[in-house]
Formats: sequence, C-alpha cells, structure tokens
Amino acid sequence: MAKLNIIQAVNQALKQEMETDKSMLVLGEDVGVDGGVFRATDSLLTEYGEKRVVDTPLSEAGIIGASIGLATQGFKPVAEVQFSGFMYPGFDQLISHASRMRTRSRGRFTCPMVVRSPYSGGIRALEHHSESFEAIYAHIPGLKVVIPSGPYNTKGLLTAAIRDPDPVIFLEPKRVYRAIKEEVPEEQYEIPLGQCNIVEEGNDVTVISWGAVLKTTKQAIADVDAELIDVQTIYPLDTKTILNSVKKTGRCLIVHEAPKTGGLGAEITAEIMDKAILHLQAPVARVTGYDTVFPLYKLEQQYLPDEGKVKLALQKLMAQ
Amino acid sequence: MKLTIVDAIREALKSEMAKDETIIILGEDIGKNGGVFRATDELQHQFGDNRVIDTPLSEIGLVGSAIGMAANGLKPIVEIQFMGFIYNCFDQIISHAARLRTRTRGKLSCPLVIRVPYSGGIHAPEHHSESMEAIFTHTPGIKVVIPSTPTDAKGLLLSAIRDPDPVIFLEPKRIYRAIKEEVPDEAYETPLGKARVVTEGTEVTIIAWGAMVREAVMAANMHEGKIEVIDVRTLFPLDEDTIINSVKKTGRAIIVAEAPRTCGFAADIIACINDKAFSHIKAPVKRVTGFDTVFPLAKLEKLYLPDAKKIDMAIEKLLVY
Repeated sequence: MAKLNIIQAVNQALKQEMETDKSMLVLGEDVGVDGGVFRATDSLLTEYGEKRVVDTPLSEAGIIGASIGLATQGFKPVAEVQFSGFMYPGFDQLISHASRMRTRSRGRFTCPMVVRSPYSGGIRALEHHSESFEAIYAHIPGLKVVIPSGPYNTKGLLTAAIRDPDPVIFLEPKRVYRAIKEEVPEEQYEIPLGQCNIVEEGNDVTVISWGAVLKTTKQAIADVDAELIDVQTIYPLDTKTILNSVKKTGRCLIVHEAPKTGGLGAEITAEIMDKAILHLQAPVARVTGYDTVFPLYKLEQQYLPDEGKVKLALQKLMAQ
Repeated sequence: MKLTIVDAIREALKSEMAKDETIIILGEDIGKNGGVFRATDELQHQFGDNRVIDTPLSEIGLVGSAIGMAANGLKPIVEIQFMGFIYNCFDQIISHAARLRTRTRGKLSCPLVIRVPYSGGIHAPEHHSESMEAIFTHTPGIKVVIPSTPTDAKGLLLSAIRDPDPVIFLEPKRIYRAIKEEVPDEAYETPLGKARVVTEGTEVTIIAWGAMVREAVMAANMHEGKIEVIDVRTLFPLDEDTIINSVKKTGRAIIVAEAPRTCGFAADIIACINDKAFSHIKAPVKRVTGFDTVFPLAKLEKLYLPDAKKIDMAIEKLLVY
C-alpha cells in the first residue's frame, strides 16, 4: 500500500472513478491546465482530455448550474469550487435547484453531482478563504454533506459521494491536505455516507469532531480515556453512534471551527438533550470558533480551537 | 389605531421616512404596485420615485446597490419579495453586508434592513414558503429579527432601521392580516435582542417566533397557568437571560420552529439551555419543527407545519415525564 496525503487521495479517487465511470467529468476554475489550486486534479486533463476535465470561467453559479444540467442528463459532474468562501454566488443553484430536483420532479430526475470545496481556516489565507459553513448545507433539505479528516477516509468517502444518486457537498480540510500521510489501498473502496467513525474507543468522555480540527483534538485528549468520534458525514448525521457513545460515557465534548451560534455542535447538543439527557453527568461542552467574521491570519490562531482550548474544556468537563 | 402586521410595517416605514430623509426603499414591485403584500402601499406616491425605487427582478442587484448606499450615508431598506428568492443575493449579504464593519476596522458600517415575507401556510408555489432564518443566525455580522404581532412589527422595524448594522427582518406572511390590535400612533422602538414573555406559566416553557407564537399560545391555553410562552423576537443576538430564567423556573422546555429540524435555530436554543440551565432541567428538551424535506406544495403544507395540536402533544409528554 502506498502512503498518501489527503490531496493525493482526492486525486487518486477522482482518477480511478473517471476510469471506472465514463460518464464522470470534472469542472471548475483552474482544474485543468493548472491541475487545481491545490493540485487535487493534477494530470487529469492530460489523461482524460478537455471534454472531461473542463476549465470554467470564474463563475460559481455557472459551474454549479452547468453541473445540475449535466447531472439530470446522465452525466456525473464533480465540480470544484476553489474555496468554500466562493460558494455563495452558487447558492441559488444549490438550494433552489440541485437539492430539489428529485422532490420537484417526483423522482423522475435526480441530481447525482458532487461539489468539492477546500474549506476551513489555518493556512494564513485572505478573506473569503477560511470559512466553515457546513451547518448551512446541513440545514438545506436534499443536500448531503461530507467532511473527511485523513487520506484513508478521503478516498473512500469521495468515491461513495461520487456514486451517490443525490447531490453531495464534499468539504476538504485544506489545512491538513498535506499534513497527514496514511496507508491508502490502491484499489477503489467506499466508506458509506451517513456513518460516524469511532477513531478511538474510551469510557470516560465522548469527544466529537470532524475535518482538520480532529487532528488537534486527538492530540489534546491523549491523557484521558476518551472515545473520539469523527463525524465524517455531517448530513445525514449518524446520531445513533453519537447517542450510544454518550450513553456509555455520560459526558460529551464537541469541537468545531465554525461560529458557535448555528453550528453543528448545537444540533448534536440538541439531539443529546432530547434523547440521552438521563445519561448525562454534566452539560455537553463545546469548543468552537467565535460569532465573528473569520479573522485575517494574524489572529487566526486565536480564533481556531487549539490543543490548549480543548484541554481546558476537557478538564472542566471531567471535574463536573 | 387598530392595525394588522402589514399595516404596522407600512406605518413604521412611513413615519420613519418622513423623519429621516436618508431612508430609501427599494425592491421588486414596491413602488407603483405598493408591494406584493401592500407593505409599501402609497409610499412612492408620498415620497417620490427617488426614495421608493422599483427595481428590476435582480435580488443581487438590489442588495448590492443597497450596500453601496448604506456605506455612503444613506439608509436603504430592501424588500425581497419572498424568502425563496434570497439565495441569489447570499454572496452580497454574507461576503459584503455582514463584513463591511470588520473589513474596514469600523471605518464603514452597513446600516441596511432587508425585509422578507417568510415561512409557509399561504398555499404558495415553490420557493415562497421557506424559513431559512438559521442560515443568517450562523452568519456573523447580521442581526435577525422576526415579529409576531402588529405592535412588535412596528417597534422592532423602527429599531432595525435605526440600528447601525445590517438587519434581516423576516415577516411571518401567514399572519400579515390575521391579528389586529391597538398600535400607538407615535413612533416607538422595541429594543432588538430582547425576548417577550407572552403568557406566564409554571410547568413548561415554550419558545417560539414568528407565526409559531400564535400556535404556541393556542396550545398553552389548553393548560391553564402551566405553560410559559416566550416570543424570541430577535434570534440574533439572542436574549439568553429571558429564556434561561424561564427554564430555570419551569424545568421543562419545548422549542417550536417551522424550519427543517437539522441545524435549525431551535438547536441553538437547546444548546444554550444545556450550557446555562442544565441542572434545572427535569425532562428532555423537545423540538417541534418542520421536517428535513423541501417545503411541500399547498396540499401537504398543513402536515409539514407545526401547529397547536403537535405542540400540545409535546406538552402532554413533558407534563407526565
């Protein structure tokens, strides 16, 4: 097995699925000649030609709109939106059309497309490049939302997302694109959507995270007998795995980068307060970003959850 | 004077335009036609077409123009005809309106109000019935206000217009004309960021906003004196104190919202109760919400929407817990 990083895993998943499925094509800004701003689509153009790897104009509404049309007509478009902060011009296409095609046509049309987007902060980027807005997509009925955390689940989840019959937003934690190397099987495989991954089993506290901040979280909880859950699929959320774990441990800490208000942390907390409240020994704790615009790079370390913040929250939680 | 919600909104706009000459209203059909729900009726006649502007059918254009106006000393009030049309201008709202103050380190602000008739229940076609308040409560830099009565509609809208930052003002169109009450003639402000206790009770706190407040009160009336209903009024910034004080007293809570359940604003309120009133809770905190589906067409919308009966079922469960 080769050791790959996340970006190589994305590239391999795309390449292998393009080989398997001739209806699949890739489109986005700089995905062709340039191979993608992070090189996720490197060498795809030379291999599959410009009819299947399409460099588009700088128009996210156009990229997503064209993908919807392709998807309803038998193609499998995998679009790249260069940074998740550029997604907003394409929102109307996503919300008013992609997410509803199946319902609107009573199942006559489906919209099997993937929108890949590098997301979240920590790379000292400019404005509009560091947002974590997964909760917005999770609130839109008809969209699936997937966030991998390492090379192995990146390949399996992306392959599953491409083969899914409905639109999937695939958010890639760009901060760890090249920070984690793992053994990744050469052959194609799927990791089913809608399932959390229990990264480490434990008995005293359930710690829930996803994306880039999972790595930080894992380092911060090393001294505690914690059960670490990687959510992987934000929607549909695997509440069963989460609730079972919280019922076992009685304590829960959620770590995410997005602003606190309206984040997925609140949703997970609400489910626990409804369905596992009798098992809780302390309030559910959250370590999150702030309800502010994502700061420029000088302050981004202050904004992001880090080891110190997670450790502090964990200490408090365990003392209750 | 006895006014409906839509009358109260018109009164607020009219009185504030007369007082503050920097106010400009813009939107689709708001001038000659007086607005699709008549919220801006007569305003163009009174204030002229330089201050009451019929725009082309381009939400991105009208919000974009309004941001420019707001940054340069005017007070634009935009009407987006239905909530389902707002997605076109998300980029303008999220990437620009919400950030102007931060981006310029306070040199520019964006005193802009975006009024939107929202939520379901009027047998409308697709794209007309969404409740997407949670998208805006999750966007830093934007205030989110939803009135449920004529008195609040007038007072909250005046506060929103006078606020120095962008406010999304969502109007529950189903009850635009369903409630009539005495509304003071003079201009008054209902402060943003303050919830209202609608009915007092001892056993269960119901937290709702918009058209759902009425349903919650109907359900509360079936349990005399037991149910405290709170109208959130401002979703962001949230008045946590009023909610927490009530839940500490009753020990039980139900959140009612029309929006799809997952990642809706109801989840935030529950998270807030978890953070600040955990040891007072006597029963699971319940949500009565819409479903995680596209808002259905007219035939099924009654099944989709929370109503007094669904709320009552949740109350019954909690009372015997």
